[in-house]
Amino acid sequence: MTAALTARVASAQRIDSIPPWKAEVRTIAVDERLAADAGLRVGDLVVLAAEPGNASGDTVRISAILQRRADPSEVARSEYRIRTHLGQLQELIGYGDRVDRYAIQTTGGVAADSALRRINALSFGFHAYPSREIAVETSKTFLVVSRFHRAIGMITIVASATFLLCIMLLKVDERRRDVAAMRLMGISRATVVRTVMLESSFVALLGSLFGVALGFAVSAFVNAHYQAVYRTPLRFAIITAGTVTYSVLLSLVLGIGAGALAARRLSRTPPLTLFGR
Amino acid sequence: MRFQLAALSLRRHASRTLLAVLGVAVSAAMLLDMVMLATGMRQSFASLLGRNGFTIRVSPRGTLPFDTEATIAQAGDATAAIARISGVTAVAPVLGTTIHVLGARAPVTAFALGVDPAVQGDYQLLSGRDPAANELVASDALLRATGARVGDTLDVAVGFDPQLRTYTGRRRVAISGRARFTYLSADDRAAALQLATVQAMGGADRADRASLFMVRTAPNVDPEAARVAIERALPRVTALSTAGAVAEAERRLSYFRQLAFILGAVSLIVGFLLVTTIVTVSVNERIGEIAIMRAIGVSRIHVVQQIVIEGIGLSLTGAAAGLVLGVFTAQWLNSILRGFPGLPDAIDFFLFQPNSAFRALALLVASGVAAGIYPAWRAASLPISATLREEAVG
Repeated sequence: MTAALTARVASAQRIDSIPPWKAEVRTIAVDERLAADAGLRVGDLVVLAAEPGNASGDTVRISAILQRRADPSEVARSEYRIRTHLGQLQELIGYGDRVDRYAIQTTGGVAADSALRRINALSFGFHAYPSREIAVETSKTFLVVSRFHRAIGMITIVASATFLLCIMLLKVDERRRDVAAMRLMGISRATVVRTVMLESSFVALLGSLFGVALGFAVSAFVNAHYQAVYRTPLRFAIITAGTVTYSVLLSLVLGIGAGALAARRLSRTPPLTLFGR
Repeated sequence: MRFQLAALSLRRHASRTLLAVLGVAVSAAMLLDMVMLATGMRQSFASLLGRNGFTIRVSPRGTLPFDTEATIAQAGDATAAIARISGVTAVAPVLGTTIHVLGARAPVTAFALGVDPAVQGDYQLLSGRDPAANELVASDALLRATGARVGDTLDVAVGFDPQLRTYTGRRRVAISGRARFTYLSADDRAAALQLATVQAMGGADRADRASLFMVRTAPNVDPEAARVAIERALPRVTALSTAGAVAEAERRLSYFRQLAFILGAVSLIVGFLLVTTIVTVSVNERIGEIAIMRAIGVSRIHVVQQIVIEGIGLSLTGAAAGLVLGVFTAQWLNSILRGFPGLPDAIDFFLFQPNSAFRALALLVASGVAAGIYPAWRAASLPISATLREEAVG
């Protein structure tokens, strides 16, 4: 079981030596963003205070520099983070023997449910929640963002599908003279349709592969850019096998569909008309 | 004549023209939506903050308003010090806390604001009157949750002592009015009481404290200068002007702005490519026809104009359809983003601003015009006799 207390420490100022009245100093951990911005390193001494400019703060030594978690809920927050011992923070902010919350580890399954029931039955001024319930509550923002992305994705698919359909129709239409020549040479209508469809499948496949490569490059750029902007290890764009399969299949279906449509129309037009005679 | 020829040419390949118009319409809708997203948040947030004329927010040093539970001590002195600064016309102290409304059912928890009703900018009264001592105005969500009405009395406490299992700062307050809270969502249970009432209910921890000061400045005063003066007078606070708050919000939501920029640019490129492709293919198909027109004396510029008109026709029709489509999709996307928990009612992510919208669509149409010029000029510049011979021989 771990207890957590979150509080705002108004200042953390570096000093050169331990004050003579302090027999020993306690240690804290600071996040890499604070360490980078304030030029702090492991072993440095700092004074923590609950109020800005308070000279009677607590002198502590930095024992660790922490990497930020890849937590989407922390992305847009720019404040610095430090980790202190619980008693140290309680003393610093005059909070007494109190905590904000406890995190309780169980063996899982039934044990978790039984622990929840027993804790809540005590009803001693607090309420226990299962982690999944808290996760659902705190992820509401990201569900909205995710729904927004899906909506944008749908619009993009409609736009790109229209574009692809248009291009494929034009591409096949450009082959009208070749088709006319093939038909005049005695090649069957079915063979002409299959040839044109094969061509359009090849173009769609080639385009999809190029699109996938472009997608990987763009995703790498997006991750590098936003990780630098928000100073987080969080990955903003992830290309999964499912995404690749979906986009390649979609473009193949659209490409082949457009090719089939145009090829059928061309093969039904008399060859001399295709020649413009 | 030119317009007629261009229209006939577009109608000759009706399905192709329809697809191209549809493609441009979707691109235009996407471009419009992205312009609305890029400018909407800023305008909407600035308009929200600018309501009631408050131009500066003062919060505990290093924090944004209500970003943490930190408060400013000696609020009375701070109010007087801010009011003395030249150009400041009103100071509204606000203390935020959580209250529990006790009753026969389970306690209802709500967000409470301690305000000075004479200068507050946090709520608009819908019915009733501002709260006097031991009175509150409540949001509709709080009234629904408690089943109370204006005129009823509630048993309210500000905290819970887990050791003694008792509520602290408990008192009976009457509901003096219904209000809409400017910076909260319609679903938030909220109440506003007099600042002194909330401070007294909070005990020693909240005595003479405020979470925030909202400051109004004279119209002829630069809020930035007043902001600097406030920070100089009170070193333990951070003062934020409306422009600074908008910039901070933009920084936090920069993801949406950048997404809007990237998708807007992609839409513009897709629209341009679509019109270029359609016009180029259409011109290549009509090389012989164009050569004949040139041979019977039609001028080169006339040919170019006809082809450019085709491009304009495609772009304009697509842009007009895109405008309608864009407004509808923006409403849909806005309704999705308005699902963010705790978002104030007045915030819209997509805001239709005629100037920006028409500028974006004009850019799309201009790109359509540009798309037609090169293939048209190339076709009109081909040697007439050689082209005719080639077309005739095949």
